[in-house]
This record gives sequence, structure tokens and C-alpha cells, in this order.
Amino acid sequence: MIKLTRIDDRLLHGQVAFTWTPALSADCLIIANDKVAKDEFLKMTLNLAKPAGTKLLIKSLKDAAGFLNDDKNKKLNILLIINSVTDAYTLAVDVPEIRSINFGGLRSKEGSKLISKAIAIADDDIPVIKELVNKGIELEIRQVPTDSKQLVESLI
Amino acid sequence: MSVSFILIALIAMFGHSEDFLGTTLLSRPLVLGPLVGLVLGDLNQGIIIGATLELIFMGNIKVGAAIPPDVITGGVLGTAFAIISGKGPAIALAIAIPVSILAEMMISALFVLRAMLNKKFNQYAEEGNYKKIQWLHILSGLIRPLLMGFIVLLALQLGANAMRSFLDMIPAWVQSGLQVAGNMLPALGFALLMNLMFNKKVAPYFFLGFILASYLKLPIIAIGGIGVIIALIITQYMPVNTNDDDDNNETQEPDAEPEVIHRLTNRDIRNIFFRSLALEANFNFETWQNTGFAFSIIPALKRVYTDKKQMAEALKRHLQLFNTSPYGSTLVLGITAAMEEQNSRDTDFDAESISSVKLGLMGPLAGIFDSLFWGTFKVIAAGVGTSLALKGNIMGPVIFILIFNIPHLLLRYNLTFIGYNAGTKFLSNLAKSNVMDKLTTGASILGLMVVGAMPATLMNITTPITIGSSKSAITIQGILDQIIPAVIPLGLTFLVYYFVKKGAKTAYLLLGLLVLGFVGSMIHLFA
Repeated sequence: MIKLTRIDDRLLHGQVAFTWTPALSADCLIIANDKVAKDEFLKMTLNLAKPAGTKLLIKSLKDAAGFLNDDKNKKLNILLIINSVTDAYTLAVDVPEIRSINFGGLRSKEGSKLISKAIAIADDDIPVIKELVNKGIELEIRQVPTDSKQLVESLI
Repeated sequence: MSVSFILIALIAMFGHSEDFLGTTLLSRPLVLGPLVGLVLGDLNQGIIIGATLELIFMGNIKVGAAIPPDVITGGVLGTAFAIISGKGPAIALAIAIPVSILAEMMISALFVLRAMLNKKFNQYAEEGNYKKIQWLHILSGLIRPLLMGFIVLLALQLGANAMRSFLDMIPAWVQSGLQVAGNMLPALGFALLMNLMFNKKVAPYFFLGFILASYLKLPIIAIGGIGVIIALIITQYMPVNTNDDDDNNETQEPDAEPEVIHRLTNRDIRNIFFRSLALEANFNFETWQNTGFAFSIIPALKRVYTDKKQMAEALKRHLQLFNTSPYGSTLVLGITAAMEEQNSRDTDFDAESISSVKLGLMGPLAGIFDSLFWGTFKVIAAGVGTSLALKGNIMGPVIFILIFNIPHLLLRYNLTFIGYNAGTKFLSNLAKSNVMDKLTTGASILGLMVVGAMPATLMNITTPITIGSSKSAITIQGILDQIIPAVIPLGLTFLVYYFVKKGAKTAYLLLGLLVLGFVGSMIHLFA
């Protein structure tokens, strides 16, 4: 079962390892990212940050979707982490179980606009976000579990 | 304007300088409370109020870019008004809670505004002018202590008299209600900590801590000691990392890298460490600790780049977004320094790789060091410190600072050198061994034992209910004490934890506990 699908461009860091993982009682963290899945150095550093008592899987988007759709893995408490709106969309299309996406951190870059403390949205993200909303998927902003949910569409 | 108001405003400024002082917890209520007490001539009250506030704000932590209520402004004003009016800890918290929430909004606004300075920083970087970058970093960092110090001074000057007469109007029954409510609030702090640390696997350690504290009445410092021993024993028997199916032929790779002559002196590296203490001085919501990183790495850049253009490139590189746990930041700084040095020597070196290593490391390292320091060292330090300070012992705040900062500063200092000398090799060695697994497991056992001890040691809630006629009355508390001492604090903590797990908002839980304590005190259910 996917406990949370989170967009966070720092992937696995303090907020994820230290607040979300225990709050969700997650026992399996999945980082779905094509680039990281091929990068041995990044994989090594991410493995170092793995919270105690959890399993960390780093997969390409395609492999991650396959894993999530596999009935064998339904009994895991999964925290799924991706690092962009586009990747979130790809997974949301392939994995019907994703009904809600948490926006945890998107750093600002050239041409993006800060809509919340830690969330910057680029112009080309907006159609993707609209598409996700049309699919009836909840898009909420929370950095840590104790924050109150803010809906993305109310801010763009 | 009295001298003491100015001194209290200076204390608030000192607290808000924490971003220059390496996030060393000097800004916590447990430390600032006694200072305020000292100024107002009642050190004892200051210590006790500081400890009470520390307990309530215990679950309040700074992780990533999530900013908790500002306990500095709230705590200093709360303590000051409580001592001036002579009303005790309950009034302090009644003031501290709303003030800290308001002050947090101001600080968040400052973090948004600071992002506007990034243009200026980048312009200086373009010119290769590191001196101006340093100055702007420090100046912008000073805004926070100056602004908040001014606000505290204003609040004291304008509010002290009004507050005193207002507090005098509060009838005694409200005060005793507040007292009980205040004694209940730590349950929220404990529950928030449990939310971070508690799970079925490690639950026994929580109860072990509770039993040691409630039945055996061991002080928290002893429970911490037992926790360390248990953690060591448990982690000794952990399996060695088998790392799934990783091809282990990496070992063939000989460690015969050509010996390089390090150009950075030990003094440069020490400088990086000292500057890293100001990593968060110019924290902003757009690029976080970027200028702090640039500020800290400048000693290395100065040493390896003599050319202005190269310096400009490097400065621009380090003004990119950065955010990690300050406690482990020096490891990234050390590694970066080594890479910059290599870049200056080797024209084929891909400077982009510096940024990618930095960005790759900042998240995972934040995960490791935030958990270790907030989840373990802070918990133990606060547990031991508050348990002493609640009795008015001045060693409480002192021990609090020492337990946290001795490991913090030792590690932070050494990591600068390790990062520079061993670079990423240090990390890959770490990844191959099971040290990290041992560390996180051991730390969570130890932390949770101390949290388990907290309800029994640090929460003072009893019931005055009696059974039978007044002559042969039996107190319920007496019976409870014989079966499970401190069961009421434990029950309350779990009740709040249950609601936290359910996703209840912290503000509502706070309010709920206040009401429960208040009503409970009025109907003589709790005391």
C-alpha cells in the first residue's frame, strides 16, 4: 500500500527520513528516478541516509511502476518519492493506486515561481498539474506531517 | 526605559543570533529562561520557567525548511512577564505560546524577503568579489537579531504595565487551572517526539525507560547511561552489511591514487569549520543556506584560486541552492574544498561535478544528522537538563548545552578534516560497512528510552480523588502509585500520541490539553 507519494527534489533527507517515515510507519521507501537509478554515487549516498528498520529501493520510473502495481508488494507500507511534477504525472498514469500527491519540496529555478515556502512551480508544470487535478488526484503541500494541507490548485 | 528591559532585549538578540552560533541550542528556553531570571533578580524562577517551557516546546524542531514557532521571542517574553508579575510558570506559557506563533510569522516573512538579496549576491559573485559576499551574508544575518530584539524591547516597554495589571485581575481559580493545564502540556511535546521515534519494533525500549523511571525512580541521566549500554549490546549483534546483490568486485580496485600535495593548510580547514557556524545566518526560502555555504568555503577558494575569473566561477557555483543539516554540513564543505582544489589544479576537471556531489550529498546527510542530533542528542540533553532545572538546579541548562554540543562540535570539527582528506571515499567506506545501520538503530534505542522516562519524571499530574468518608478516605492516587506509578502522565501522553497519529492539528491538541487540564482542575479530577 502506498502511504504517501511525495514530490521532493532533495529526495531522501531530514524531513523524509526523520518525520515522514515514522509518522507513516513506512517500512519501504521507493525513490523513483531514472537518473538516480543509474548513478552509483547518488545511490550510495542515499543508502547512507536510509532510516533504521526500513528498506530503500531506488528504481527507474518504469521499474517503480511495475513494482507498485505488483500485488505481491501490497502489504508493504510504501513511501514513494519522486523529484518532479512530470515524474509524478508519469507514475500517476501508470499506477492507479496513486490518488494523492504530496508536494514536499521543489526548489526555485530560472523561470519558476514560489507558491509556498518550499514549493516553486515552473510554467510548464502548470498544465501537468491541471491534468492531475482533472484526474481527481489530490495535490497537497506539506513539508512535514504536522503541517496542515494546502491544495496546490488554490495557489496557482 | 529600564535597564533590565534593555538587557532582556539583548538576551532575545543573543537567542536570535543562533544562526551565527552554529545552531548550538543556546537559544532554547532552558538556556534563555535563567538569563532572563538573572536580569530580573529571580534566577530560580527563571530556571524553572525555562525548564517548563522547554518541556512544552520539546517536540518543536527545525528540520529542513520547516520553521517551528519562535520559542526565543515567545520564551523570553513569557518568562519576563511571568517573573515581573510574580505569577509563575503557568502564566509564562500562556504568553509564550501565542507570542511564539506570531513571531514565527515575522521570521518567515524575513526569510521570504531575504531571497531578494540573492540578486545582489550573484552580482558580487560575477565580479569575483568574495569580500562583499561575506559582508552581505553577515549584514543580512544581523537583521533577525536586531529586528526581534527591537520587538521584544517594544513589547516590554509598552506592555509591561498593562500586562501586570491584566495579570493581577486573573482570579486564583483561573491560575490554579492554568497550573494544571500547564503541567499537562508536556504530554504534547512527548507525543510529538514519539511520533518521530516510536514504532512497534522499538516500543519495548520506550517502556523500559518508563519502568526504570516510574518504579525504580532512576534519574534520566542514569536511564541515558543504561540506554547507551543496551544500544551498544544490541548493535554488536547486528548482521554485517550484505548489501543485497552488489557486486563486491570493487575491492579489486587498488587504493593507489597518486599522492597529492594538499594546498589547504590546517588553518584554512579550521577556518571553514568556524565559518560553518554561520551557515544559516542568511537562511532564506528561495535558496536556503546558499550564502552560508559560500561564506564557509571562501577560505578554500581564496587559497586555490588566484585568478579573479576562476574565483567568480567558483563563487557563482556556491551561491546555488543549498540546504543540509548544519551538524553535518562540514563534511560537505570538506569534500567540496578538496574538489575545488582539484579543479584548480586539473584543467580537465569537470567543475559541474562539484555541484552535483554537493547536491547529491546535502539531502542524505541532512537525513542522517538531523535524526542523530534532533532525535537523540537533543532528546537526551533536554531530558537530563529539564529534570534538573525543574528543581531549580542551575546545572540543568549547563548540562543541557554540554550533552548536546560536546558531540556536536567534536564531530562537526573533525568532519571538516575527514571530508577534505578522505573525500567521498570516506562515504563509500561507510556505505560498505554497517556503521550507519548500527548508529541509527543504537541512537533510536537510546532516544526512545529517554523519551519513555519523560512522562514519569517530567510531568506532574496526579488525581486528588478520594474514596470513602473523610476520616478513612483512601486516595486513588495512593492506589495507583502502588500499581503503576505515573500512570496518569503515561496515559495522557499516549492519548495525545493517538491523536497525533490520527493527524490532529497541533494547535487543537494544545487547546484540548489546556481545556482538559482546566476543567479537570475545576472539578477536582486532576491536580
